[in-house]
Amino acid sequence: MDLTLIVVLVIVLALFFDFTNGFHDTANAMATPIATGAMKPKVAVTVAAVLNLVGAFLSTEVAKTVSGGIIREGDGGVQISPEMIFAGLIGAVVWNMFTWLRGLPSSSSHALFGGLIGAAVVGAGLSSVDFSVVLSKVVLPALLAPLIAGLVGYTATRLAYRITRRRDDKSERGGFRYGQIFTSSLVALAHGTNDAQKTMGVITLTLIASGALGAGSGPPLWVVVVCALAIALGTYTGGWRIIQTMGGGLTEVKPTQGFSAEASTTATVLASSHLGFALSTTQVASGSIIGAGLGRRGAKIQWSTAGKIVAAWFITLPASAAVGAVAAFIASAGIVGLVVDAVVGVAVIAGIFLLSRRRPHDQSAAMEVDVAATSVLSRRRARRAEKRGRIDTPAGGVEAPFVRLDDPPVATTTADRGDRADRTDRTDRTDRTDDGTTR
Amino acid sequence: MSIDWSAFVTVALVSLFSAAALVTVYSLGLRLLTVDDRSAVRTVAGWACFVLCGLGVLYGIYLIVPALHR
Repeated sequence: MDLTLIVVLVIVLALFFDFTNGFHDTANAMATPIATGAMKPKVAVTVAAVLNLVGAFLSTEVAKTVSGGIIREGDGGVQISPEMIFAGLIGAVVWNMFTWLRGLPSSSSHALFGGLIGAAVVGAGLSSVDFSVVLSKVVLPALLAPLIAGLVGYTATRLAYRITRRRDDKSERGGFRYGQIFTSSLVALAHGTNDAQKTMGVITLTLIASGALGAGSGPPLWVVVVCALAIALGTYTGGWRIIQTMGGGLTEVKPTQGFSAEASTTATVLASSHLGFALSTTQVASGSIIGAGLGRRGAKIQWSTAGKIVAAWFITLPASAAVGAVAAFIASAGIVGLVVDAVVGVAVIAGIFLLSRRRPHDQSAAMEVDVAATSVLSRRRARRAEKRGRIDTPAGGVEAPFVRLDDPPVATTTADRGDRADRTDRTDRTDRTDDGTTR
Repeated sequence: MSIDWSAFVTVALVSLFSAAALVTVYSLGLRLLTVDDRSAVRTVAGWACFVLCGLGVLYGIYLIVPALHR
Protein backbone atom coordinates (compact mmCIF):
# COMPACT_ATOMS: atom_id res chain seq x y z
CA MET A 1 0.00 0.00 0.00
CA ASP A 2 2.79 2.31 0.99
CA LEU A 3 4.64 1.62 -2.19
CA THR A 4 1.65 2.01 -4.49
CA LEU A 5 0.70 5.38 -3.01
CA ILE A 6 4.19 6.74 -3.53
CA VAL A 7 4.35 5.30 -7.04
CA VAL A 8 1.06 6.95 -7.96
CA LEU A 9 2.20 10.24 -6.43
CA VAL A 10 5.48 10.14 -8.34
CA ILE A 11 3.75 9.37 -11.62
CA VAL A 12 1.23 12.20 -11.21
CA LEU A 13 3.90 14.67 -10.15
CA ALA A 14 6.27 13.56 -12.91
CA LEU A 15 3.54 14.14 -15.47
CA PHE A 16 2.89 17.57 -14.03
CA PHE A 17 6.61 18.28 -14.24
CA ASP A 18 6.46 17.19 -17.87
CA PHE A 19 3.61 19.63 -18.39
CA THR A 20 5.52 22.55 -16.81
CA ASN A 21 8.55 21.53 -18.85
CA GLY A 22 6.41 21.85 -21.98
CA PHE A 23 5.06 25.30 -21.29
CA HIS A 24 8.35 26.52 -19.92
CA ASP A 25 10.14 25.63 -23.11
CA THR A 26 7.60 26.66 -25.73
CA ALA A 27 9.45 29.96 -25.78
CA ASN A 28 12.74 28.41 -26.85
CA ALA A 29 11.29 27.46 -30.17
CA MET A 30 8.38 29.80 -30.67
CA ALA A 31 9.16 33.15 -29.01
CA THR A 32 10.89 34.67 -32.03
CA PRO A 33 8.48 33.48 -34.74
CA ILE A 34 5.60 34.82 -32.66
CA ALA A 35 7.43 38.09 -32.07
CA THR A 36 8.12 38.65 -35.75
CA GLY A 37 4.70 37.54 -36.90
CA ALA A 38 6.11 34.54 -38.79
CA MET A 39 3.40 32.49 -37.15
CA LYS A 40 0.32 33.55 -35.28
CA PRO A 41 0.64 32.76 -31.57
CA LYS A 42 -1.98 30.01 -31.61
CA VAL A 43 -0.57 28.46 -34.75
CA ALA A 44 2.94 28.56 -33.31
CA VAL A 45 2.06 26.82 -30.07
CA THR A 46 -0.01 24.25 -31.96
CA VAL A 47 2.89 23.45 -34.27
CA ALA A 48 5.24 23.24 -31.29
CA ALA A 49 2.82 20.98 -29.41
CA VAL A 50 2.40 18.60 -32.35
CA LEU A 51 6.17 18.44 -32.89
CA ASN A 52 6.73 17.77 -29.20
CA LEU A 53 4.15 14.99 -29.33
CA VAL A 54 5.78 13.45 -32.38
CA GLY A 55 9.25 13.94 -30.92
CA ALA A 56 8.31 12.15 -27.72
CA PHE A 57 7.46 9.02 -29.70
CA LEU A 58 10.58 9.19 -31.83
CA SER A 59 12.99 8.57 -29.05
CA THR A 60 12.18 6.38 -26.10
CA GLU A 61 15.61 5.40 -25.04
CA VAL A 62 15.49 5.95 -21.33
CA ALA A 63 18.49 7.22 -19.43
CA LYS A 64 20.17 4.73 -17.13
CA THR A 65 20.24 7.14 -14.24
CA VAL A 66 17.73 9.74 -13.13
CA SER A 67 20.31 12.36 -12.29
CA GLY A 68 22.85 11.81 -15.03
CA GLY A 69 25.68 11.14 -12.62
CA ILE A 70 25.16 14.11 -10.35
CA ILE A 71 24.05 11.82 -7.57
CA ARG A 72 26.21 8.79 -6.86
CA GLU A 73 23.47 6.31 -7.49
CA GLY A 74 23.57 2.60 -8.12
CA ASP A 75 26.22 0.14 -6.99
CA GLY A 76 28.32 1.44 -4.13
CA GLY A 77 26.40 4.67 -3.98
CA VAL A 78 23.02 5.64 -2.63
CA GLN A 79 19.81 4.03 -3.72
CA ILE A 80 17.47 6.71 -5.02
CA SER A 81 14.17 5.91 -3.39
CA PRO A 82 10.78 6.87 -4.85
CA GLU A 83 10.43 9.27 -1.89
CA MET A 84 13.57 11.10 -3.00
CA ILE A 85 12.32 11.29 -6.58
CA PHE A 86 9.01 12.60 -5.27
CA ALA A 87 10.66 15.30 -3.16
CA GLY A 88 12.99 16.20 -6.01
CA LEU A 89 10.05 16.57 -8.38
CA ILE A 90 8.29 18.86 -5.92
CA GLY A 91 11.38 21.08 -5.86
CA ALA A 92 11.58 21.09 -9.66
CA VAL A 93 7.88 21.80 -10.20
CA VAL A 94 7.72 24.59 -7.62
CA TRP A 95 10.78 26.29 -9.09
CA ASN A 96 9.43 25.90 -12.64
CA MET A 97 6.15 27.49 -11.59
CA PHE A 98 7.95 30.33 -9.82
CA THR A 99 10.22 31.18 -12.76
CA TRP A 100 7.20 31.02 -15.05
CA LEU A 101 5.39 33.48 -12.81
CA ARG A 102 8.33 35.84 -13.15
CA GLY A 103 8.56 35.16 -16.90
CA LEU A 104 12.11 33.85 -16.63
CA PRO A 105 13.34 31.18 -19.01
CA SER A 106 15.22 28.67 -16.87
CA SER A 107 16.30 25.14 -17.52
CA SER A 108 13.78 22.49 -16.49
CA SER A 109 16.46 19.81 -16.32
CA HIS A 110 18.53 21.90 -13.96
CA ALA A 111 15.47 22.34 -11.77
CA LEU A 112 15.00 18.55 -11.74
CA PHE A 113 18.68 17.99 -10.90
CA GLY A 114 18.45 20.60 -8.14
CA GLY A 115 15.38 19.02 -6.59
CA LEU A 116 17.02 15.60 -6.64
CA ILE A 117 20.21 16.97 -5.12
CA GLY A 118 18.28 18.55 -2.26
CA ALA A 119 16.33 15.35 -1.67
CA ALA A 120 19.48 13.22 -1.82
CA VAL A 121 21.39 15.43 0.61
CA VAL A 122 18.59 15.15 3.15
CA GLY A 123 17.93 11.49 2.45
CA ALA A 124 21.48 10.21 2.14
CA GLY A 125 23.88 12.93 3.21
CA LEU A 126 26.18 15.36 1.44
CA SER A 127 28.49 12.65 0.20
CA SER A 128 25.76 11.32 -2.08
CA VAL A 129 26.17 14.30 -4.39
CA ASP A 130 29.09 14.45 -6.78
CA PHE A 131 29.76 18.17 -6.74
CA SER A 132 32.47 18.02 -9.39
CA VAL A 133 29.84 16.70 -11.79
CA VAL A 134 27.52 19.50 -10.71
CA LEU A 135 30.26 21.96 -11.64
CA SER A 136 31.10 20.38 -14.98
CA LYS A 137 27.54 19.53 -16.03
CA VAL A 138 25.51 22.44 -14.70
CA VAL A 139 27.51 25.47 -13.58
CA LEU A 140 30.11 25.76 -16.34
CA PRO A 141 27.72 24.95 -19.20
CA ALA A 142 25.44 27.68 -17.84
CA LEU A 143 28.31 30.13 -18.32
CA LEU A 144 29.40 28.73 -21.68
CA ALA A 145 26.03 28.14 -23.37
CA PRO A 146 25.01 31.79 -23.68
CA LEU A 147 28.55 32.71 -24.74
CA ILE A 148 28.65 30.20 -27.60
CA ALA A 149 25.08 30.84 -28.64
CA GLY A 150 25.55 34.60 -28.36
CA LEU A 151 28.62 34.48 -30.60
CA VAL A 152 26.86 32.22 -33.12
CA GLY A 153 23.70 34.34 -33.08
CA TYR A 154 25.71 37.55 -33.50
CA THR A 155 27.71 36.19 -36.41
CA ALA A 156 24.63 34.79 -38.13
CA THR A 157 22.72 38.06 -37.73
CA ARG A 158 25.60 40.17 -39.05
CA LEU A 159 25.94 37.85 -42.04
CA ALA A 160 22.23 37.94 -42.79
CA TYR A 161 22.05 41.74 -42.68
CA ARG A 162 25.27 42.05 -44.63
CA ILE A 163 24.14 39.76 -47.45
CA THR A 164 20.69 41.29 -47.78
CA ARG A 165 21.84 44.90 -47.63
CA ARG A 166 20.89 46.85 -50.71
CA ARG A 167 20.64 50.38 -51.85
CA ASP A 168 17.35 50.37 -53.69
CA ASP A 169 14.03 50.67 -52.02
CA LYS A 170 13.11 47.03 -51.97
CA SER A 171 13.20 44.90 -48.91
CA GLU A 172 13.62 41.17 -48.97
CA ARG A 173 14.04 40.62 -45.30
CA GLY A 174 10.39 39.73 -44.76
CA GLY A 175 11.33 36.48 -46.46
CA PHE A 176 13.25 35.48 -43.38
CA ARG A 177 9.93 34.80 -41.72
CA TYR A 178 9.39 31.69 -43.82
CA GLY A 179 12.79 30.40 -42.85
CA GLN A 180 11.99 30.95 -39.20
CA ILE A 181 9.10 28.53 -39.41
CA PHE A 182 11.50 25.72 -40.31
CA THR A 183 14.27 26.48 -37.86
CA SER A 184 11.94 26.95 -34.92
CA SER A 185 10.11 23.74 -35.80
CA LEU A 186 13.42 21.90 -35.61
CA VAL A 187 13.98 23.31 -32.14
CA ALA A 188 10.51 22.15 -31.07
CA LEU A 189 11.10 18.66 -32.47
CA ALA A 190 14.46 18.37 -30.74
CA HIS A 191 12.83 19.46 -27.50
CA GLY A 192 10.20 16.73 -27.77
CA THR A 193 12.77 14.00 -28.34
CA ASN A 194 14.92 15.15 -25.42
CA ASP A 195 12.67 16.36 -22.68
CA ALA A 196 9.73 13.96 -22.72
CA GLN A 197 12.33 11.24 -22.30
CA LYS A 198 13.41 12.61 -18.94
CA THR A 199 9.95 12.15 -17.49
CA MET A 200 9.66 8.73 -19.08
CA GLY A 201 12.94 7.86 -17.41
CA VAL A 202 11.79 9.07 -14.00
CA ILE A 203 8.53 7.11 -14.19
CA THR A 204 10.18 3.98 -15.57
CA LEU A 205 12.88 3.99 -12.90
CA THR A 206 10.23 4.44 -10.21
CA LEU A 207 8.25 1.51 -11.61
CA ILE A 208 11.41 -0.60 -11.64
CA ALA A 209 12.25 0.40 -8.07
CA SER A 210 8.76 -0.60 -6.95
CA GLY A 211 9.03 -3.94 -8.66
CA ALA A 212 6.26 -3.28 -11.15
CA LEU A 213 8.75 -3.62 -13.99
CA GLY A 214 11.75 -5.86 -14.40
CA ALA A 215 15.17 -4.30 -14.04
CA GLY A 216 16.51 -2.82 -17.24
CA SER A 217 13.20 -2.74 -19.07
CA GLY A 218 12.16 0.14 -21.27
CA PRO A 219 9.16 2.36 -20.68
CA PRO A 220 5.78 0.67 -21.22
CA LEU A 221 3.67 2.12 -24.00
CA TRP A 222 1.26 3.87 -21.65
CA VAL A 223 4.16 5.76 -20.05
CA VAL A 224 5.33 6.96 -23.46
CA VAL A 225 1.81 8.00 -24.42
CA VAL A 226 0.99 9.94 -21.25
CA CYS A 227 4.41 11.64 -21.19
CA ALA A 228 4.05 12.67 -24.82
CA LEU A 229 0.56 14.00 -24.15
CA ALA A 230 1.63 15.86 -21.02
CA ILE A 231 4.51 17.67 -22.71
CA ALA A 232 2.42 18.45 -25.79
CA LEU A 233 -0.41 19.81 -23.67
CA GLY A 234 2.04 21.93 -21.70
CA THR A 235 3.55 23.25 -24.91
CA TYR A 236 0.13 24.05 -26.31
CA THR A 237 -0.83 25.92 -23.15
CA GLY A 238 2.17 28.10 -23.89
CA GLY A 239 4.12 29.90 -21.22
CA TRP A 240 3.12 33.32 -22.52
CA ARG A 241 5.10 35.11 -19.86
CA ILE A 242 8.32 33.45 -20.94
CA ILE A 243 7.44 33.84 -24.61
CA GLN A 244 7.09 37.57 -23.99
CA THR A 245 10.40 37.79 -22.21
CA MET A 246 12.25 36.02 -24.98
CA GLY A 247 10.27 37.48 -27.87
CA GLY A 248 10.37 41.10 -26.79
CA GLY A 249 11.65 41.51 -23.27
CA LEU A 250 15.29 40.94 -24.14
CA THR A 251 15.39 42.85 -27.37
CA GLU A 252 13.07 43.80 -30.18
CA VAL A 253 13.29 40.90 -32.62
CA LYS A 254 12.96 41.44 -36.36
CA PRO A 255 12.54 38.62 -38.89
CA THR A 256 16.18 38.70 -39.95
CA GLN A 257 17.27 38.43 -36.34
CA GLY A 258 14.61 35.87 -35.53
CA PHE A 259 15.78 33.64 -38.35
CA SER A 260 19.41 34.03 -37.39
CA ALA A 261 18.67 33.42 -33.71
CA GLU A 262 16.67 30.26 -34.42
CA ALA A 263 19.29 29.05 -36.88
CA SER A 264 21.99 29.45 -34.26
CA THR A 265 19.83 27.83 -31.56
CA THR A 266 19.18 24.86 -33.83
CA ALA A 267 22.81 24.53 -34.83
CA THR A 268 24.12 24.85 -31.29
CA VAL A 269 21.58 22.47 -29.75
CA LEU A 270 22.15 19.82 -32.42
CA ALA A 271 25.93 20.19 -32.24
CA SER A 272 25.93 20.00 -28.47
CA SER A 273 23.74 16.92 -28.33
CA HIS A 274 25.76 15.05 -30.95
CA LEU A 275 29.29 16.09 -30.15
CA GLY A 276 29.27 15.35 -26.48
CA PHE A 277 29.08 18.68 -24.71
CA ALA A 278 25.58 19.00 -23.27
CA LEU A 279 24.15 22.50 -23.20
CA SER A 280 20.76 23.62 -21.94
CA THR A 281 18.39 24.49 -24.79
CA THR A 282 16.90 27.31 -22.75
CA GLN A 283 20.27 28.90 -22.17
CA VAL A 284 21.28 28.45 -25.80
CA ALA A 285 18.04 30.04 -27.01
CA SER A 286 18.41 33.04 -24.69
CA GLY A 287 22.03 33.49 -25.74
CA SER A 288 21.13 33.35 -29.43
CA ILE A 289 18.48 36.02 -29.00
CA ILE A 290 20.91 38.33 -27.20
CA GLY A 291 23.50 37.66 -29.91
CA ALA A 292 20.94 38.49 -32.58
CA GLY A 293 20.11 41.68 -30.69
CA LEU A 294 23.77 42.67 -30.64
CA GLY A 295 24.02 41.93 -34.36
CA ARG A 296 21.53 44.54 -35.55
CA ARG A 297 22.63 48.12 -35.51
CA GLY A 298 20.37 50.27 -33.38
CA ALA A 299 18.89 47.35 -31.49
CA LYS A 300 18.68 47.77 -27.77
CA ILE A 301 19.16 44.95 -25.36
CA GLN A 302 17.48 45.06 -22.00
CA TRP A 303 20.50 44.08 -19.99
CA SER A 304 18.54 44.24 -16.76
CA THR A 305 16.22 41.52 -18.06
CA ALA A 306 19.20 39.54 -19.31
CA GLY A 307 20.79 39.89 -15.89
CA LYS A 308 17.66 38.64 -14.17
CA ILE A 309 17.57 35.62 -16.47
CA VAL A 310 21.21 34.75 -15.81
CA ALA A 311 20.66 35.19 -12.08
CA ALA A 312 17.72 32.80 -12.32
CA TRP A 313 19.94 30.21 -14.02
CA PHE A 314 22.36 30.25 -11.14
CA ILE A 315 19.65 30.23 -8.50
CA THR A 316 17.76 27.39 -10.21
CA LEU A 317 19.89 24.61 -8.76
CA PRO A 318 20.14 25.79 -5.13
CA ALA A 319 16.55 27.01 -5.04
CA SER A 320 14.98 23.79 -6.27
CA ALA A 321 17.45 21.91 -4.10
CA ALA A 322 16.19 23.81 -1.06
CA VAL A 323 12.57 23.01 -1.90
CA GLY A 324 13.51 19.40 -2.61
CA ALA A 325 15.35 19.17 0.70
CA VAL A 326 12.40 20.49 2.68
CA ALA A 327 10.07 18.12 0.85
CA ALA A 328 12.40 15.20 1.50
CA PHE A 329 12.61 16.12 5.17
CA ILE A 330 8.81 16.13 5.48
CA ALA A 331 8.54 12.93 3.44
CA SER A 332 10.88 11.17 5.86
CA ALA A 333 7.99 11.20 8.35
CA GLY A 334 6.44 8.35 6.42
CA ILE A 335 3.08 8.22 4.73
CA VAL A 336 1.75 11.23 6.65
CA GLY A 337 4.74 13.21 5.44
CA LEU A 338 4.06 12.24 1.85
CA VAL A 339 0.45 13.36 2.11
CA VAL A 340 1.54 16.65 3.74
CA ASP A 341 4.07 17.11 0.93
CA ALA A 342 1.46 16.48 -1.72
CA VAL A 343 -1.08 18.82 -0.11
CA VAL A 344 1.45 21.62 0.43
CA GLY A 345 2.79 21.13 -3.08
CA VAL A 346 -0.65 21.40 -4.64
CA ALA A 347 -1.38 24.47 -2.48
CA VAL A 348 1.81 26.22 -3.60
CA ILE A 349 1.17 25.43 -7.26
CA ALA A 350 -2.43 26.61 -6.97
CA GLY A 351 -1.25 29.74 -5.14
CA ILE A 352 1.24 30.59 -7.89
CA PHE A 353 -1.45 29.99 -10.47
CA LEU A 354 -3.85 32.31 -8.64
CA LEU A 355 -1.12 34.95 -8.33
CA SER A 356 -0.62 34.73 -12.06
CA ARG A 357 -4.34 35.34 -12.60
CA ARG A 358 -4.15 38.62 -10.75
CA ARG A 359 -1.94 39.97 -13.50
CA PRO A 360 -2.83 37.73 -16.38
CA HIS A 361 -0.28 37.34 -19.12
CA ASP A 362 -2.39 35.29 -21.42
CA GLN A 363 -1.31 37.52 -24.19
CA SER A 364 -2.36 35.23 -26.96
CA ALA A 365 -5.48 37.29 -27.45
CA ALA A 366 -3.70 40.60 -27.05
CA MET A 367 -0.97 39.58 -29.44
CA GLU A 368 -3.43 38.45 -32.05
CA VAL A 369 -5.12 41.83 -31.74
CA ASP A 370 -1.71 43.44 -32.16
CA VAL A 371 -1.01 41.60 -35.35
CA ALA A 372 -4.53 42.10 -36.62
CA ALA A 373 -4.42 45.83 -35.89
CA THR A 374 -1.13 46.32 -37.67
CA SER A 375 -2.19 44.37 -40.70
CA VAL A 376 -5.47 46.24 -41.00
CA LEU A 377 -3.96 49.68 -40.55
CA SER A 378 -1.60 51.02 -43.13
CA ARG A 379 1.88 51.79 -41.96
CA ARG A 380 1.25 55.50 -41.75
CA ARG A 381 -2.11 55.18 -40.06
CA ALA A 382 -0.63 52.80 -37.55
CA ARG A 383 2.09 55.28 -36.77
CA ARG A 384 -0.40 58.11 -36.43
CA ALA A 385 -2.56 56.04 -34.15
CA GLU A 386 0.45 55.19 -32.10
CA LYS A 387 1.42 58.84 -31.74
CA ARG A 388 -2.02 59.57 -30.48
CA GLY A 389 -1.47 56.74 -28.05
CA ARG A 390 -4.52 54.93 -29.27
CA ILE A 391 -2.93 51.56 -29.80
CA ASP A 392 0.14 50.34 -28.14
CA THR A 393 1.71 49.19 -31.32
CA PRO A 394 4.68 50.60 -33.15
CA ALA A 395 4.44 51.60 -36.72
CA GLY A 396 6.45 48.81 -38.17
CA GLY A 397 3.67 46.69 -39.56
CA VAL A 398 3.95 43.05 -38.67
CA GLU A 399 7.39 43.60 -37.21
CA ALA A 400 5.57 44.74 -34.11
CA PRO A 401 7.71 44.02 -31.09
CA PHE A 402 6.14 42.61 -28.01
CA VAL A 403 4.89 44.95 -25.43
CA ARG A 404 5.61 43.67 -21.99
CA LEU A 405 2.62 44.81 -20.06
CA ASP A 406 4.32 44.54 -16.73
CA ASP A 407 7.24 46.73 -17.69
CA PRO A 408 6.71 50.30 -16.52
CA PRO A 409 9.10 51.79 -19.13
CA VAL A 410 6.56 50.99 -21.84
CA ALA A 411 4.70 54.19 -21.11
CA THR A 412 7.79 56.28 -21.75
CA THR A 413 8.98 54.46 -24.82
CA THR A 414 6.11 55.31 -27.12
CA ALA A 415 7.88 58.36 -28.52
CA ASP A 416 11.21 56.64 -28.37
CA ARG A 417 9.90 53.68 -30.25
CA GLY A 418 8.39 55.77 -32.98
CA ASP A 419 11.69 57.50 -33.39
CA ARG A 420 13.46 54.20 -33.49
CA ALA A 421 11.12 52.96 -36.17
CA ASP A 422 11.91 56.03 -38.26
CA ARG A 423 15.59 55.46 -37.85
CA THR A 424 15.23 51.87 -38.89
CA ASP A 425 13.39 53.05 -41.96
CA ARG A 426 16.25 55.16 -43.07
CA THR A 427 19.20 53.01 -42.22
CA ASP A 428 18.30 49.52 -43.16
CA ARG A 429 14.89 49.28 -44.72
CA THR A 430 14.18 46.16 -42.91
CA ASP A 431 11.55 43.53 -42.71
CA ARG A 432 8.60 45.34 -44.09
CA THR A 433 5.30 43.74 -44.83
CA ASP A 434 5.65 44.74 -48.44
CA ASP A 435 8.29 42.20 -49.19
CA GLY A 436 7.34 42.19 -52.81
CA THR A 437 8.23 39.19 -54.85
CA THR A 438 9.13 36.95 -51.98
CA ARG A 439 5.47 36.64 -51.21
CA MET B 1 36.35 18.16 -12.24
CA SER B 2 36.69 17.14 -15.84
CA ILE B 3 35.65 19.53 -18.52
CA ASP B 4 35.96 18.17 -21.99
CA TRP B 5 37.40 21.33 -23.50
CA SER B 6 38.08 19.77 -26.87
CA ALA B 7 34.42 18.75 -27.13
CA PHE B 8 33.46 22.27 -26.11
CA VAL B 9 35.62 23.86 -28.82
CA THR B 10 34.29 21.38 -31.40
CA VAL B 11 30.70 22.21 -30.47
CA ALA B 12 31.40 25.94 -30.62
CA LEU B 13 33.07 25.76 -34.03
CA VAL B 14 30.56 23.36 -35.57
CA SER B 15 27.60 25.44 -34.41
CA LEU B 16 29.25 28.64 -35.59
CA PHE B 17 29.97 27.32 -39.07
CA SER B 18 26.73 25.45 -39.60
CA ALA B 19 24.57 28.37 -38.46
CA ALA B 20 26.63 30.78 -40.55
CA ALA B 21 26.35 28.52 -43.59
CA LEU B 22 22.59 28.13 -43.26
CA VAL B 23 22.01 31.86 -42.80
CA THR B 24 24.35 32.73 -45.66
CA VAL B 25 22.69 30.39 -48.12
CA TYR B 26 19.17 31.45 -47.13
CA SER B 27 20.08 35.14 -47.32
CA LEU B 28 21.67 34.61 -50.73
CA GLY B 29 18.51 32.91 -51.87
CA LEU B 30 16.44 35.87 -50.74
CA ARG B 31 18.82 38.32 -52.33
CA LEU B 32 18.84 36.47 -55.63
CA LEU B 33 15.09 36.13 -55.88
CA THR B 34 13.90 39.54 -54.75
CA VAL B 35 14.44 41.62 -57.85
CA ASP B 36 11.78 42.74 -60.25
CA ASP B 37 13.09 41.39 -63.53
CA ARG B 38 15.31 38.51 -62.70
CA SER B 39 17.08 36.37 -65.22
CA ALA B 40 16.56 32.64 -65.48
CA VAL B 41 20.01 32.05 -64.01
CA ARG B 42 19.12 34.16 -60.99
CA THR B 43 15.88 32.30 -60.48
CA VAL B 44 17.55 28.92 -60.68
CA ALA B 45 20.38 29.97 -58.39
CA GLY B 46 17.96 31.46 -55.89
CA TRP B 47 15.85 28.36 -55.70
CA ALA B 48 18.98 26.23 -55.52
CA CYS B 49 19.85 28.13 -52.35
CA PHE B 50 16.49 27.30 -50.83
CA VAL B 51 16.83 23.66 -51.87
CA LEU B 52 20.19 23.64 -50.10
CA CYS B 53 18.52 25.06 -46.98
CA GLY B 54 15.86 22.38 -47.27
CA LEU B 55 18.59 19.75 -47.31
CA GLY B 56 20.05 21.37 -44.21
CA VAL B 57 16.68 21.08 -42.47
CA LEU B 58 16.42 17.43 -43.53
CA TYR B 59 19.87 16.81 -42.10
CA GLY B 60 18.67 18.42 -38.87
CA ILE B 61 15.71 16.03 -38.76
CA TYR B 62 18.11 13.17 -39.45
CA LEU B 63 20.17 14.21 -36.45
CA ILE B 64 17.13 14.65 -34.20
CA VAL B 65 15.46 11.31 -34.93
CA PRO B 66 17.55 8.57 -33.34
CA ALA B 67 16.05 5.82 -35.48
CA LEU B 68 17.62 7.40 -38.55
CA HIS B 69 21.22 7.54 -37.46
CA ARG B 70 21.60 4.50 -35.25
